[in-house]
Amino acid sequence: MASTEREILRTEIGWAIVVAGVVGVIMVAIVYAGLAMHINPPSNIEHIDPKTLHLTGEFTEPNLGTKVEANGQVTVRMVATQFAFVPQCLVVPEGKPVTLRFSTPDVLHGILVTGTNVNTMIVPGYVSQVHTVFRKTGDLLMPCHEYCGLGHSQMWATVRVVPEAEFRPGADGKVSCDAR
Amino acid sequence: MEHADADPKVLDQPWRIWATAAIASVAAAGLLLGMIVLPVVQGRNAGISAFDAICRALGIQAGSPAMPQPPSAAQAIPVTQVAWSAELIRDLEQADRRNGEAIASQTCFACHGERGFAPDNRNPNLAGQSALAIYKQLHDYRSDSRFNDQMTPIAKALDDRQLIDVTAYYAYLTTGAIDPTTAQVGDEEIVRLVERGDQSRNLPACSSCHGRRAGGPTETPSLVGQNEGYLIAQLQLYRSGERKNDIYHRMRSVARQLTDREIARLARYYSTTLRQ
Ligand code: HEC
Ligand code: HEC
Ligand SMILES: [Cu+2]
Repeated sequence: MASTEREILRTEIGWAIVVAGVVGVIMVAIVYAGLAMHINPPSNIEHIDPKTLHLTGEFTEPNLGTKVEANGQVTVRMVATQFAFVPQCLVVPEGKPVTLRFSTPDVLHGILVTGTNVNTMIVPGYVSQVHTVFRKTGDLLMPCHEYCGLGHSQMWATVRVVPEAEFRPGADGKVSCDAR
Repeated sequence: MEHADADPKVLDQPWRIWATAAIASVAAAGLLLGMIVLPVVQGRNAGISAFDAICRALGIQAGSPAMPQPPSAAQAIPVTQVAWSAELIRDLEQADRRNGEAIASQTCFACHGERGFAPDNRNPNLAGQSALAIYKQLHDYRSDSRFNDQMTPIAKALDDRQLIDVTAYYAYLTTGAIDPTTAQVGDEEIVRLVERGDQSRNLPACSSCHGRRAGGPTETPSLVGQNEGYLIAQLQLYRSGERKNDIYHRMRSVARQLTDREIARLARYYSTTLRQ
């Protein structure tokens, strides 16, 4: 038991150092993630009607998956829905800029791709967009990381990163896991 | 330094000064890192000037996309024409069930039974089915999103009002009580699939969507007490892709993973289970 003023002082300073240390470690982690791992806050604000997502435009079923656009840009469009990603597997080239675009017709979801800087929430009413470059080939796990209902823990997809030489789009510019 | 008789306010003073200084410096460091260092360095990677990056971090400049949006020349080929809106759900709630009953007794009883219990095991029971599920399926038959020789012409003959009224009639009927002597609740493997799914096959539990008030997709039908022959047929149709009116493959991606044996046992389970 601390009783004299000197002892009280010592414990107070001890705990102040612990608290300062915790705050310091968190700050360093944030700065490291931001600068070394390129984890950025989302900056793209784009609205879309979740009620008609499956009926019109960009996020209808035949349009989902990886596509090489006419200008050579690689775009991945994906829908997160209770309780699966559509498509459940996607192919991307190694070492090339890729734009990932996500939306949802139902509730809040989130994704991260293990070992990369891809990490975003998917919010009904918005398009979430991430620009990235995949540096290592192989199958990466992409789980849903925002609780979305009872089937949440079975909700995951695979991101297949292939060497650029093996990344061969079809006539319509689309690339899928099945075709390989 | 032990002045037992000193004024506590005077004793505290240096502590207050130091604590304030410590908190202010942590806050200042946070602002410097978050509003200046991080945006400027990250902005450089994205080709944004230091000034713009700081303005965006402060929220006084809109976060415009740092790179041009990819073009989208998408052509929509939807698997269903149904879109849930507040008006539609209100219409279903305010439907005229008497009119629905009149239509049903004329056209539907022959195959779906008098109180919504189909005499033929291959036809679905409709009694107490979710209104949203019935509405979507009728609408899908009508728009050729789901096809069946018997149902398609019948649905096409219904106008919007009739479709809503007959939906409300069937949804309002009471579901049947299952005969406890035929109930099968002992199939452990299937109960596990229904209640827990299968992580290794990317298979969510059936009850995460089909369970009572599970909070899954809006149009999810109830399966409890459904006819066995009908359930088997539908799971096979989803698996082969012949039935493809489920929005975003929700059922096709599930059925694709199921074996014949599992389909048969799941159908048995749902047609006889006492659980909700
Ligand atoms: C000639 C027999 C027949 C008649 C008459 C008939 N149905 Fe059907 N109905 C079927 C069959 C068979 C199926 C299953 C079809 C399939 O596999 O797609 C079905 C399926 C349905 C379904 C889909 C159920 C589900 O769970 O997905 C609904 C809803 C339905 N019928 C409503 C009606 C209504 C309402 C009427 C009257 C206006 C009607 N049916 C008249 C034979 C009939
Ligand atoms: C992700 C949510 C989800 C999961 C998980 C799911 N279902 Fe479904 N299921 C649906 C939806 C939504 C429909 C209606 C699809 C449509 O609009 O045609 C459906 C339809 C069905 C139908 C057709 C019913 C009818 O009346 O026509 C059967 C049978 C079925 N599911 C069985 C199962 C079984 C068995 C499982 C577990 C192995 C399962 N489902 C898992 C969402 C799900
Ligand atoms: Cu999710």
